Amino acid sequence: MIKFKTEKEIEIMRQSGKILAEVLEELIANVKAGISEIELDRMAERLIIAKGGEPGFKKVEGYNNTICISTNDVVVHGIPTNYVLEAGDKVGIDCGVFYKGFHTDMAQTTVIKGEKNQEEVIKFLQTGEKAMWAGIEAAKLGNRIGDISKAMQDIVESQGGYSVVRSLIGHGVGRELHEDPEVPGFLDRPILRTPLLKEGMTIAIEIIYNMGKSDVVYSGNDGWTIKSKDGSLSGLFERSIAITKRGTEVLTRK
Amino acid sequence: MAHQGSFEIEGVVKESLPNTLFRVELTNGAIILCHLSGKMRMNFIKILPGDKVRVEMTPYDKEKGRIIYRFK
Repeated sequence: MIKFKTEKEIEIMRQSGKILAEVLEELIANVKAGISEIELDRMAERLIIAKGGEPGFKKVEGYNNTICISTNDVVVHGIPTNYVLEAGDKVGIDCGVFYKGFHTDMAQTTVIKGEKNQEEVIKFLQTGEKAMWAGIEAAKLGNRIGDISKAMQDIVESQGGYSVVRSLIGHGVGRELHEDPEVPGFLDRPILRTPLLKEGMTIAIEIIYNMGKSDVVYSGNDGWTIKSKDGSLSGLFERSIAITKRGTEVLTRK
Repeated sequence: MAHQGSFEIEGVVKESLPNTLFRVELTNGAIILCHLSGKMRMNFIKILPGDKVRVEMTPYDKEKGRIIYRFK
């Protein structure tokens, strides 16, 4: 069931999103060779608490960290380890903030400068980010979830030649981190059979895609980390937005 | 944090329980508890044991499903 938020509730989410955007920007700025995944996780927790929020991901049953870090072929839900980041690594950080009862969710992927030619990776990441913004552009009153999915899938698959992961999706966000509706990055049914976007809807639009094929597998035994089946690089970009009568608003911004 | 999307799978209704609940045997062999979707309820579509149906499931709870279509 899709829960619609009131103006006041969206205002609280705006503040939650502001904290998250500031924290994530600082985290990404600190993604350099020599820092470990767990250090970034602790930094995130410190920053979020200092700004008055709580780590949203810690409220997910079974998850004990503040961020999900996706290095290289990890797609999503990488638990931060002692691994020290190296030059050339692709690093995706997914984070959530819980503030006054509401969650916001945001993710960004970047690549650490290395000696080898990184043109391909940079182009891969730019395509994903462009796709996410196209999805947000398509998320206006009167459109449907399918319009968002189509916009993102077109840029990643048709224009880019990459593949959107099918088993992971964006989602509504609010009092729970994951709510209805499902917001896939691909079309799995006619657009007219997807939910209509209405005022008061708050959704986390995310694009999860691989350089190679779309299949993903669980990796290791931690029950969380998901990697691309063919070992290809994976990208992740996410923002939380609200549909208001004044237009679509990105909640996760400074 | 990304969420795992729901998926559809087919099965055969094994028994009907009160309140439009059904025990369904899926094509992968698992037997799960399913309820009837609201749309089917609204359109008065009846389900009997032996019917082949399509079930929507979430990867987060493998014991439950929602019947969303009855095959002819």
